[in-house]
Amino acid sequence: MADKPVIEISRYCVPFTPFGGQLEAASICLVSTAGVYHKSDPPFDVNGDLSFRVIPGTAHASELRIADAHYDHGCVDRDVNCVFPIDRLTELTHEHRIGGVADRHFSIGFTQAIRQLRDDTLPYLVEEVRSTRPDAVLLTGG
Amino acid sequence: MIAIPTALITVEPVVSEQARPPRALCPEGFTAGHSLGRPNDVALQQRIIMDALGLLLAPPAPGQVIRRSFA
Repeated sequence: MADKPVIEISRYCVPFTPFGGQLEAASICLVSTAGVYHKSDPPFDVNGDLSFRVIPGTAHASELRIADAHYDHGCVDRDVNCVFPIDRLTELTHEHRIGGVADRHFSIGFTQAIRQLRDDTLPYLVEEVRSTRPDAVLLTGG
Repeated sequence: MIAIPTALITVEPVVSEQARPPRALCPEGFTAGHSLGRPNDVALQQRIIMDALGLLLAPPAPGQVIRRSFA
């Protein structure tokens, strides 16, 4: 596809982006591999899924679900914040410890097709994150 | 191109180090499924978030995973 965005990954350098602001003024976006989705959206295929889900920044953890079969759900079934701390970011915003919560957060699900994920999915996910324009991204796994 | 700073919370530091993340925090003792700590432990989860975001302000250590106990 001609207009497909490209992720340039250096084999020799860590792609380090400096943070020049203050946390108290920074909008934070969550990006996770934990298989999180909003209850109004379709779940991930737990056997392998190369799509991603967009989660509204205004959502509460109680509105979120996990579609995954590769880590213990004993904790997340009680509190999604254990892997996707969306309520905690809202609280930290109200306490003025961070500047705000991004308009959108993102999650992918389980896949073993890593090359396909990198080449076909992540470029689009990165563009979506960029268009959300957070000041920083907090990455979480399962 | 707009570049956005990131901070990673990981409970698999050895795996994460292979990807050489720009900033990463490993809360020691936690495993996949509760990388931010115990369910409904608001204070602990907030502390882990703020420690991870604190790496944005810390001296750069790109490629390293900072291991920290939250016991």
